[in-house]
Amino acid sequence: MSLLEVENLHTHFISRTLNDELRVAKGLNGVTFSLENGEIMGLVGETGAGKSLTAMSIMGLLSPPARIVDGSARFDGIELTNMKREELDQLRGNEITMIVQSPVSSLDPLKRIGRQLVRIQQVHQDISKAEAHQRAVEMLRTVGIPNPALRTRAWPHELSGGMAQRVLIAMALINSPRLVIADEPTTGLDVTVQAQILDLFLDLVRERGLSAIIITHDLGIVAHYCSKMAVMFAGRVVEQGPVRTVFKDARHPYTRALINSTPSRVARYGHVRSAGGAPPNLYDLPKGCHYRDRCEFSADICATIPPEVHLDSAHLASCHFSLNVPWAAEG
Amino acid sequence: MSSETLAQPLGGRIQWLRRPRGIARRSPTFAAGLIIILVYGFVALFAPVLTPFDAINAFPYHVLESPNGRFLLGTDGNGMDVLSRVMYGTRYAFGIAIPAVILMVAIGVPLGLIAGYKGGILDEVLLRILDVMRSFPAIILALAVVAATGQTLVNVVVVLGLVEAPIFARVVRAEVLALRSGGYVEAAVAAGNPVRRLLFVHIMPNAISGATAQIPLRMAWAVRASATLAFLGVGIQAPAPEWGAMIRQGAEFLISGQWWVALFPGVALVGIVLGFNLVGDGLHDLLDPKSKTASK
Amino acid sequence: MVPLLFGIIFVTFMLVRIGGQDAVGMLAGPMADEAQIAEIRRSLGLDRPIIEQFVAYMGNLVQGDLGNSWQSHSTVAEEILSRLPASLELLILAILVGTTVGIPIGLYAAYNPNRLFDQITRFGSLVGFSIPTYWFALVASFVFFFVLRWAAAPMGRIGMDVFPPPEITGSYLVDALVTGRWDAALSAAHRLMLPVIVFAIIVSAPIIKQTRAIALEAMGSDYIRYARACGYGPGLVRRIAMRASLVPVVTFIGAEVATMLLAVSLIELIFAWGGLGQWGLNAILFGDFAAVQGYVLVLASFSAFVFLLVDLLVLVLEPRARLRQ
Repeated sequence: MSLLEVENLHTHFISRTLNDELRVAKGLNGVTFSLENGEIMGLVGETGAGKSLTAMSIMGLLSPPARIVDGSARFDGIELTNMKREELDQLRGNEITMIVQSPVSSLDPLKRIGRQLVRIQQVHQDISKAEAHQRAVEMLRTVGIPNPALRTRAWPHELSGGMAQRVLIAMALINSPRLVIADEPTTGLDVTVQAQILDLFLDLVRERGLSAIIITHDLGIVAHYCSKMAVMFAGRVVEQGPVRTVFKDARHPYTRALINSTPSRVARYGHVRSAGGAPPNLYDLPKGCHYRDRCEFSADICATIPPEVHLDSAHLASCHFSLNVPWAAEG
Repeated sequence: MSSETLAQPLGGRIQWLRRPRGIARRSPTFAAGLIIILVYGFVALFAPVLTPFDAINAFPYHVLESPNGRFLLGTDGNGMDVLSRVMYGTRYAFGIAIPAVILMVAIGVPLGLIAGYKGGILDEVLLRILDVMRSFPAIILALAVVAATGQTLVNVVVVLGLVEAPIFARVVRAEVLALRSGGYVEAAVAAGNPVRRLLFVHIMPNAISGATAQIPLRMAWAVRASATLAFLGVGIQAPAPEWGAMIRQGAEFLISGQWWVALFPGVALVGIVLGFNLVGDGLHDLLDPKSKTASK
Repeated sequence: MVPLLFGIIFVTFMLVRIGGQDAVGMLAGPMADEAQIAEIRRSLGLDRPIIEQFVAYMGNLVQGDLGNSWQSHSTVAEEILSRLPASLELLILAILVGTTVGIPIGLYAAYNPNRLFDQITRFGSLVGFSIPTYWFALVASFVFFFVLRWAAAPMGRIGMDVFPPPEITGSYLVDALVTGRWDAALSAAHRLMLPVIVFAIIVSAPIIKQTRAIALEAMGSDYIRYARACGYGPGLVRRIAMRASLVPVVTFIGAEVATMLLAVSLIELIFAWGGLGQWGLNAILFGDFAAVQGYVLVLASFSAFVFLLVDLLVLVLEPRARLRQ
């Protein structure tokens, strides 16, 4: 049994136009993947592919008009999508924690960071304030904040982006979770700081044997830090598998295009294979394969939903041509 | 349960009703308010036809009669029919509110645009003036001025228009400043647009939206303010069928138990102000991109 | 602040002077002829150029002399001071009641959005917004005094048959309680009941609406979503939202107080309260220059003072504001 099993998850945004028509934006259209203990998975895709939405759906953080309309997400075998609020609250911040995109605005603006670290411990464990404070200082030191004891008295708005993100990492790890979801953890940070933060985070994750999902649009991050990856497009996982395998032998046109548009590849092959194009209209997705309209290899068969092809036990791709890729000749 | 089954438009196939129904669903407050205002507007337009009697038709032998078959809402101290007077009062309400708000917009919006765009001393001076005006309760200001300058309808309209113009100036100025810092203006300037075109084509349409939301609310205020002024004995007076003046007259009779003279004009006032406020509130819902939706 | 106050005084002065010529005629009485009116005008200094008048006024003002009221032959300063406690009494009590009732209602409506309570609350507060203060006061006193005899007569702050308590603060209720005059206290409280309730209802409408809006906005913010992601229970999440809403609500209430001043005046008028508002309104209607000026000055200064108070309060409550200092 895997630590996290997401199966056929569908999340839709249901609203009404001024003309009193129902409009449905299909954010997730059958997301399926699993995560084992100790695995670090990269969830990649362009903006709007549904990466953050997947994380929100798993953690029960959707707000209207978004809702899960089908599928399941199981943590340790326990179903999350129909869990009651109290049970979910016991898991969140405790066994499953999250690192979000905008650290400074996500921290409680009216509480010093030390007290927030204490609070998140006291909510989930039976621990004294003094001991919690001790651990908070330790944690701040671990995430590389200088002068941690003094820093516990800082207000969130006094922190720089990088510092605040370190605090979020501290918040995410202080209750010894089993799974950490990091949603674009380096957005808005200086390039120099990004690497530091990621190094820090992944070191800690590996040290403690945690599982992690890193949501990003940056393939470089996935290549460098993750053992497994899942590529999303228009609310579906189009390819997933061990990072090395996928990079070496991508079996979905979108994955391939993504990989080939990294600067090093462009340098080697001399041209950019376009992965770009108009973002899919979630209100009106094409029938069958959602990638049809942008794919250079699309054919008539693509009007039907592509099967999930098992290329080996760990590598899956969802393309009609996954077994016999049309680019095999090209290299 | 799939989303396709939810995609049937609820409530029928009448096509031309769809937009109104959509608006009503998104914001019932807006719809309710609009209906109320339309009813009042209808009464205002067709008052001579709708009212049983003329507004200043006095019946000396029927003074202070309680509501009965002939005078549905009773008669006042001069023997005039309350119902007819209340209905004619709608004309005063709209007749004051509409010109006053037009004046507010005509003065406030350009001022806000210029101050926000040009900045500098002009802006500073405007800000100071706005601050001073903010410290006065607007109605007291209006009261002082109308009391001093005379009690004609025109005066009331002009004063009300002037007194609340700052709100529009402030709102528009804030929007313009936001636009300026957003780089939108810089891009337009870089593209070589002359100043006038910049103001009217690029900035104004965006800055206007905030002002638009204020309009129904200011209409509500104008109606209330003129009624308050009339109640205090300033501005429009009896025998004109203005609701505030009618309440003023009716107040005397409350002690002797004749409640209908003061009550009904007040109810009419509440109705129209409520209508405008509902529209203003509803407009907010409609213009807000985040819509609340079906959570079945 | 000082330039603001100066601006206020200047504007008031100009406004009052603009059309006030008729008032002199009124003061002189119907029998006066041209010469007498001119004489009065001269004695009041109204024939001198406006700027000169203004300078003279400012000079007096700095010394604490607000001029004399025509109607009562005492100084404006005295009139204001003697009436201020009555108005404050009403204002403070009504604000207290209005906020203690209004804020929780607004919060509760925000935490259960679009349910029945919320719908009723939204509608109710809009109606409250739309009711003219004076009419509501009239109807309320009619129903509750005239018909039901529950409330006291709308004639002043204390019963005719009761001796007012010795003057300490000027507020009958406070003075009576402090000096142990229970009969006076009871009578004053009875008289206060209806005006305070009426005023509190009027005041609470915008508070409820705005509190709800602020709380709703807080609930949709980044930090609330993160709080949920941390597994904080609904109670804790709401507390976080509530604390964050406090500052905007306080700021709003401060702004409201400024607009409340007119409503107070109207209520004073209806209930014959003998406070500042009633006096001021009458002064305007009768063109009593100095009195009007004093009244408007007090109002504006009061507003400015309240805004200052709110700013200070915000500095205390909001750590983010301190950063900008």
